[in-house]
Amino acid sequence: MKSRTEHHAWVLGTTAPALLFLAVVAYLPIAYAVALSFFKKTAFNPAMKWVGLDNYRFVLEEPELWSAFGRSIVFTLGSVGLQLALGLAAALLLNRAFAGLNVIRSLFVLPYLLPSIVVALVFQWLLSQEYGVINQVLMQTGAVSRPINFFGGLSTAMWSVVGMAGWQYGSFATLLILARLQAISPKLYEAAAVSGAGPLRAFWDVTLPALRTTLLVIALLRGIWMFNKFDSIWLVTHGGPLKATETLPLYAYRLAFEEFDFGLAAAACSVMFMVLLVGAVVYFKLFDPTREIEVGR
Amino acid sequence: MSRVQSLATFALLLVVLIVVAFPFYWMVLSSFTPREALFQPPYRFFRLDFSLGNYRELLFATEFVRFFFNSLIAAVGAIVLNVIAATLAGYGLTRFAFAGKKPFAFGTLFSYMFPPMLMAIPLYILFSALQMRNTYTGLILAHMAISLPLNIWLMWQYFQIVPLSLEEAAWTSGASRLAALRQVCLPSARPGVLSVAIFSFALSWNDFTFAFILQTDRHMFTLPVGLASFVEQTGVHWGMVMAAAVLVSVPTFLLVFFLQRYLLSGLRATG
Repeated sequence: MKSRTEHHAWVLGTTAPALLFLAVVAYLPIAYAVALSFFKKTAFNPAMKWVGLDNYRFVLEEPELWSAFGRSIVFTLGSVGLQLALGLAAALLLNRAFAGLNVIRSLFVLPYLLPSIVVALVFQWLLSQEYGVINQVLMQTGAVSRPINFFGGLSTAMWSVVGMAGWQYGSFATLLILARLQAISPKLYEAAAVSGAGPLRAFWDVTLPALRTTLLVIALLRGIWMFNKFDSIWLVTHGGPLKATETLPLYAYRLAFEEFDFGLAAAACSVMFMVLLVGAVVYFKLFDPTREIEVGR
Repeated sequence: MSRVQSLATFALLLVVLIVVAFPFYWMVLSSFTPREALFQPPYRFFRLDFSLGNYRELLFATEFVRFFFNSLIAAVGAIVLNVIAATLAGYGLTRFAFAGKKPFAFGTLFSYMFPPMLMAIPLYILFSALQMRNTYTGLILAHMAISLPLNIWLMWQYFQIVPLSLEEAAWTSGASRLAALRQVCLPSARPGVLSVAIFSFALSWNDFTFAFILQTDRHMFTLPVGLASFVEQTGVHWGMVMAAAVLVSVPTFLLVFFLQRYLLSGLRATG
């Protein structure tokens, strides 16, 4: 490097565009949202009126927020649990039967990368009460006597959404777990076999410990993302029936765009943000993903 | 492994395969099924009465093509801006020591965990005030909010494995820093740049939340928002909707089957 000025010019020139974009599209809006949560602002009245913590007081005393919060927890735990279970099962099977078979592996990546709208439409069609093929199979095999209203039934809607999310995002878990499984040295299994361990014992003593970090990363990241999930749920239920699937992001959406109270919506979003913050702090503390690496990825 | 065990493994694998693959199969099959047959149970799992009627109706009787162009413009804009900003930032972060580096990296990683709703509501208000709702510029900027953090992180990781010695060799032979960046460093970082382009495309193409909130004028709908409007009416034409779902998934299929190795490098970091 020739001079300090040149160094500064390079640092500024390379990072400024990214910083500028991030500031305009991410940091500024979020700062604005946090500020907004202290004001009374509705869609019909452009004036902002300082109300201090009133929005928070209102939102936190609102039973609707807490039921939405509860539903978010149910949806997050349910769908992340399902993703881990499906991902682990699929990865163990794939690792055994078809290590390296590309077509099959591609098929397992697909759901995760599909637009949510596609998954939502296909599941609505598969699970349709009148014309759904799943209901037809259930009726023909005699498993049910009447077609199930999967996304429209009070008791079934949440579990149907959880199932759909498990199907779509389970493939994320499959991929990460499969990659980790293939990195376990076969020698460890040989050693386990020599010392007389059966397949279950080997799974418990060799496979699971090797997967611990991977499973934790998946649970944390997916937990954060599922807690904030808007599109998948909105597209199949709009939060219904009777708010049975109205999680926090859908509640915030309703406050902003159906009740037109942006201040309240911002306060609800900030509550969401606090939860996210806890998850993110745990993730950064445990894994420090910002540390630099030397070679390989 | 004993025979029984491998048979059991095979049977389980078959079940998992069916669970994963059947929704795709049913989507494609329904899209080619004539309208009259689609609503007449019992449905057959194999059928040969293929028809292109659903696709014809989708392309000529709906605004599908308009939605497609809106989606395409948003995606191309997001790709171009992301590639420029992320490549520069990745280079700067790996090649120079500076005071705000760690916070910058931290802030970047943190911002890809932001809830879309937390950004979409203020963006709606800001863009309303700036007359930027229902514009391509507004949508492209919003899509950068979801993809740029991930892309900076990808390029930052990528430049760490492009050896500095290559550039140093160029410097000693008299090349300027900029020339070395363009002629030596960027060509070796090409797979990273390609990953960035792919992810920018996929995140923009797949986005529902931002487009749904910001683009309220039907002429400016992207594919996901337009498709969602197809099922709002009663008497949904499911064959046509499945044809739309198939066409929207085509880029995803191509990416997964042809560019998988670029995808895998960034998979850990997407929402």
